[in-house]
Amino acid sequence: MSAEINNNQFTQAVGSADEINELLRRYGVKFGIYKNGTFKEQFFPFDPIPRVITAQDFISIEKGLVQRVNALNEFLFDIYHEKKIVKDGIIPEDFIYISSGYLAQCEGITPKNKIYSHISGIDLVQAKNGEWYILEDNLRIPSGASYPLIARELTRIACSDAFTENKVVDNRNYAQLLKDTMDNANCGGIRAILTPGRYNAAYFEHSYLAELTDSVLVQNDELFVEDNILYHKTYSGGKTRIGVLYRRIADEYLDPLNFLPESLIGIPNLMEAYRSVNVGIINAPGNGVADDKGIYYFVPKMIKYYLGEEPILKNAPTYLPFYSEDRKYVLDNLDKLVIKDVAEAGGYGVVFGNELSKEKLSEFKETIIAEPRRFIAQEVIDFLDLPILDNGETVMRKADLRAFVLSGKETKVWASGLTRFSRNPNSFVVNSSQGGGFKDTWVLSR
Amino acid sequence: MKTVNFYFSTKLTFDDYIHDHSFALRIIPPETENQHILSCSLNISPYISTKQTIDAFGNNVTSGYIKDDHRFLDFEIKGYDEIDSEKHRTDFMPCYLYQSEYTTPDKDIIKFYLQNKDKCNSSNIAERTAFFSDLLSEIIEYKKDVTNTKTTASEAFALKQGVCQDFSHILLSILRLDRIPCRYIAGLAFCDGETHSWIEYWTGEHWEGFDPANNCPVNDDYLIISQGRDFRDCAIDRGIMFGRYTKQLQLVRSVLS
Repeated sequence: MSAEINNNQFTQAVGSADEINELLRRYGVKFGIYKNGTFKEQFFPFDPIPRVITAQDFISIEKGLVQRVNALNEFLFDIYHEKKIVKDGIIPEDFIYISSGYLAQCEGITPKNKIYSHISGIDLVQAKNGEWYILEDNLRIPSGASYPLIARELTRIACSDAFTENKVVDNRNYAQLLKDTMDNANCGGIRAILTPGRYNAAYFEHSYLAELTDSVLVQNDELFVEDNILYHKTYSGGKTRIGVLYRRIADEYLDPLNFLPESLIGIPNLMEAYRSVNVGIINAPGNGVADDKGIYYFVPKMIKYYLGEEPILKNAPTYLPFYSEDRKYVLDNLDKLVIKDVAEAGGYGVVFGNELSKEKLSEFKETIIAEPRRFIAQEVIDFLDLPILDNGETVMRKADLRAFVLSGKETKVWASGLTRFSRNPNSFVVNSSQGGGFKDTWVLSR
Repeated sequence: MKTVNFYFSTKLTFDDYIHDHSFALRIIPPETENQHILSCSLNISPYISTKQTIDAFGNNVTSGYIKDDHRFLDFEIKGYDEIDSEKHRTDFMPCYLYQSEYTTPDKDIIKFYLQNKDKCNSSNIAERTAFFSDLLSEIIEYKKDVTNTKTTASEAFALKQGVCQDFSHILLSILRLDRIPCRYIAGLAFCDGETHSWIEYWTGEHWEGFDPANNCPVNDDYLIISQGRDFRDCAIDRGIMFGRYTKQLQLVRSVLS
């Protein structure tokens, strides 16, 4: 805990944990997960001890994230146009076109202001030596910004002077940042947030963000495309033009006439409206090619290639079995590495070599040899434990940080973020879909 | 070089009213190096306003939306153009080297490919394409009504029967295994009373057409309407509609003369 935090106030915040969790329940802050084929809604447990990031630390994280997201946006433009980075031999062609996130239907499309990733959720961890590492980029539909927002608000209600004495950067500006980002992508019309409905894992967030940004919260049956313009059906039978659509449904369901024909949650011909730059889509369809776990390896190279700069934030040391040299290292050291299946998300398909039996290890080696492109391997970073309250006791648990980077007129990092922790003392996997909890993230103003 | 007249029409009829009907047609032939469209007119009924875009694969897309109740959608296109198969197109996309939804091979196609790939002792792409098409024409029977528009290359290969679309998908699957970039073509041909499908392979410099259902190279008797990785990218008409209809009847007529 940082000395700059006023201890009295902090104790007070901790003391009101029950009260805040009660308020979260009453507000309906839920997180839905699918387990064994059934949909379950559960409360996303809040831990009242905030993660604290010093002003100095934040400045370097901020610079590193802005640099990274700018390079990723350049990459997306390049891949869907000239593909210079492939022609120049920086990234092997296979990694682009075998990626399920690459959408050939998006070739040649240039979104307004050339921005593809408007809202980027970058996952980082801090190692025990204090250094920050990038674990993963999320450029499709990164969720979670609403949790620290509402937790902060409720802490403010439950413990009104926690923030008058602590010099914590106010995180309420997320609403304005998001609104500005949406307006920058707007092609003329109202703001709308598209949700697949209340059974979606992040429905709470969809409605909360719509309220904060003064956007209409819509489902697909309220929308249609006519003359390549996206409209919202009004109650009186009229129509209102939508200029920017922050969609919270995956690319493949977005437009049944362009992607999966069986999608029941999409908007027919949305892609024609988008291609004609009559509507902005946040984030751009096709972004999955840039946050693919296999492409992650190449992000530091992208930063050098597009920006001519040295990467400020490091990747976790990563190996691609696709390269024979790396494959040899991975096979020789499998018991020390963490292996990720590039096709899986949400903490699924992550295997720690040291948890595998001898037979499983050799089985897994066969799989890697047979399908080298399917996996990446990383050194296990011994990341910093954070204190959490467990039945009144303080215990140490693994935690990561999802930072939100918004690309509008400028690229900005939100001075807060979602800290997720594992409730299992032996687990490094912190995803909310794996049953973890969350903390607020306090960035100190000095 | 040849000047041809083309005509294509579809009548979609429903047994009850439908509404909120969105559609996308890939029906206007593209102007390319080897086909020069001299005249072309598209009629859609009921009358509605439509928009034109060009998709990622270079196809002309006509999109429209009919909000009110209706029971049919008719469209017809006619025109004439000059076809010159001696001239070559060069609009390459790297994704054509990779398997796509309809062409992803199963283990039987892979096995077939591995058993036969070395029997062709040429590395010439045109010769390899002709070699694989020859093999397919021996083992796959042209037969209607055993496959449909959802049939994949692997499914048709297992049946050993199918129509032009299936021949195209299987050949695309095999050529991509052979690391030859290739694409699906939907169009009209003299030899056929309906819409036809064939493929194009990339020689390294340009596209060449090949018709696996007839096991021959394409000539001036073929008019390209749309192109893409497989049938999915090329569907001539696609729509989403609401209503209590149970049946939809589609009549198609096409002529190239």
